[in-house]
Amino acid sequence: MRAERLQAVRDPGELLGPQLAAVVEDSPQDERRLRVQLGRLDRAVEALLSRGGRLAALFPVTVPDPSLLAAVAFQGELVVLRAPLEGAHEYPALSRATAAALLPERELHDRYGLVPTGHPDLEPIASPDPDSLTRRVVGEQSFVIPYGPIRSGVFESIQYVIETGGEDVLALQVRPFFKHRRLEQRFGGLGFDHAVQVAERVAAIAGVAHATAFCQAVERALAVEPTRRAQRWRVVHAELERIANHLDVAVKLAEDAALSVGVARFAILKEQIQRLRARLCGSRFGRGVVAPGGLAAAPLLEPETVLEALDQFERQLRRDRRLLLGTASFTDRLIGSGTLDRATIDDYAGVGPVARACGVAVDARFERPYGAYVRVGGRIATVDDGDAMGRLRVRFLEIGESLHIIRQAFERLDKYGPELRADLPAGSGAAFGWAEAPMGELLYWVEVEEGRIGTVRISSPSLRDWPLFAASFRGDVLTDFSFIEHSFGLTPAGADR
Amino acid sequence: MIEWIARGLRTGIVTTRYPKRSERASAGFRGRINVLQAEHGRAQLAEVCPTGAIRVADDGRVSLDRGRCILCGLCVAADPDRFAFAAEYETATRRRASLIAGEPETTTLEELRTTLGQRSRTLRRSIHIRHVDAGSDGGEEWEIQALSNPYYDMQRLGFFFTLSPRHADILLVTGAVTEPMRAPLLRTWETMPEPKAVVAAGTDACTGGLASLTDATAGGVDAVLPVDVYIPGSPPSPIALLHGLLLATGVLVYAAAA
Repeated sequence: MRAERLQAVRDPGELLGPQLAAVVEDSPQDERRLRVQLGRLDRAVEALLSRGGRLAALFPVTVPDPSLLAAVAFQGELVVLRAPLEGAHEYPALSRATAAALLPERELHDRYGLVPTGHPDLEPIASPDPDSLTRRVVGEQSFVIPYGPIRSGVFESIQYVIETGGEDVLALQVRPFFKHRRLEQRFGGLGFDHAVQVAERVAAIAGVAHATAFCQAVERALAVEPTRRAQRWRVVHAELERIANHLDVAVKLAEDAALSVGVARFAILKEQIQRLRARLCGSRFGRGVVAPGGLAAAPLLEPETVLEALDQFERQLRRDRRLLLGTASFTDRLIGSGTLDRATIDDYAGVGPVARACGVAVDARFERPYGAYVRVGGRIATVDDGDAMGRLRVRFLEIGESLHIIRQAFERLDKYGPELRADLPAGSGAAFGWAEAPMGELLYWVEVEEGRIGTVRISSPSLRDWPLFAASFRGDVLTDFSFIEHSFGLTPAGADR
Repeated sequence: MIEWIARGLRTGIVTTRYPKRSERASAGFRGRINVLQAEHGRAQLAEVCPTGAIRVADDGRVSLDRGRCILCGLCVAADPDRFAFAAEYETATRRRASLIAGEPETTTLEELRTTLGQRSRTLRRSIHIRHVDAGSDGGEEWEIQALSNPYYDMQRLGFFFTLSPRHADILLVTGAVTEPMRAPLLRTWETMPEPKAVVAAGTDACTGGLASLTDATAGGVDAVLPVDVYIPGSPPSPIALLHGLLLATGVLVYAAAA
């Protein structure tokens, strides 16, 4: 759902209704924290959703005391409902109010022993066994294809349980967490410089977004503003990452359609971006750039060099895009494949290009602008198709938008001082940080205790959108599978953490 | 379709000549970290590293385990007179012990490149690779996929990806091996015919990297399978992967002769 603006409502009693008795707590800017009773969390979330919010995160935290946290995203702010656990192990399931809570609540149940009462399906999910499958379709004519965790090609590990009668996909279950590395726990006790290395490695292909969301959480918890110059460079790296990801989707889709020259052309474009990133910071994945307070190291290229390379890139891209979208043997496979509608996106609180391809204008960069996005303008690219073709079209629009944003980010760069990194005070605090990863809105909850990291929780766009992949099969057949999967452009590493 | 063909022809040849010619990394590329000065290290130096790759012996001798190094550069920033990034691609090795920098090298790079060049010429038969993601961060997969792009084009060296482990000569493993991936990884390896080689791609696969301290992973592929070639890097670049795969073909030739 496109989040609505909430600013007019200041009184929490009015926001949630008088019977919910919420208490306002201190919070950083753009975050509004309300304490509610655990038994009333479901009704509080429901009240916020009815005001146009979108469930963005649900996890247990430890500061100021062990609580269950539900974050609801609005235009301009994040409303954080904190329900102290006080030793309780049960709470009324949020899944009854929104499908977006179905998967997070199964994870809560398995990992933290919290029981969401009234949840329709608490089948274990956190420690998947590839050989033990639960069937959803009953009937002699249907059979199961367990696809994964090792799949046909060079792909990340995830398992899909496909139930089919031979051609039609009747039911599809997504089984993540084969790659669960307990990275949220890995943060605990680390200093800032070490912790940001972990954030970069949660999902390499969205490493800049992860590092940015993590650092912004630390900066907000300690009330520090990163230097202006650093904010601009962060935007440049984040947009290059987005371009590389979108091109990667184009490569994979062209490969699925056996369009060899198309594969080669888009792989060349992607490699050019990866090489530009390597020349800019020494890493093809933008690693070692973002650090709490600003940047870890000075960029290796001048803005002019980057702009020249991007101008040349854009000229090539324009030709290849025109050719690709004009190739009927390619577009025929995408049009009408894996179609989603607005209602399903709203129900699952879908984010990223998947939601934007259904005309839902969700984008953390513009809903709750952070860093240099406050000053750099841009449009949220949306189309109304809802299918694999729509998702590809959104990606191409976004590449254009990203180039536009990078050019703007460089415009005022020389007006800022040379400082790359602001000093971080010793202190404690806890805050959300967010960034728009190439896959969608990414949130980090970070607790800081005197210069060390405490509890970290991640709400990843890949995990949030994966149920939509399962929901997108409506009369689609097995041969559409890879097209639909690649059009989503999600990463198991980010989902599994 | 004719337009695509024209577009392809107009692109020309972008493919690297590696390994016949060396491929130069761009200035500042984080290929590996060299120890410039190994003597007189303070004990606190080890704490700079997030993965415990830096060791300072009692006599002050500093060594860096590239199998653990994630190329974050915190040591370079802390002590630039002692540590420095080297813009090099060829980081793979046959022996885990030879990943430790600060000790004398046995073969020079030039020598190695000559033998690799000869091997890729003489090795006319095709080598099939089965990739398994055992818990990577996703970066290694992008770099492995890049091996098929026109810049690296591994088919020219006789390397092909295969879907079936029964056709595979090389098992290319990424990630620190998470608990749910242990059994599928082992099963893939057992299914492969002899002779076979196991390549651990990336620092996570070599030692677990940052994921090694959580109890959710085995802390590297060699805790589960015998590894023939280690390719450190976070993630290793496509040329580093090619270098490692060429080293692995040496393993295969050797195993077939034995």
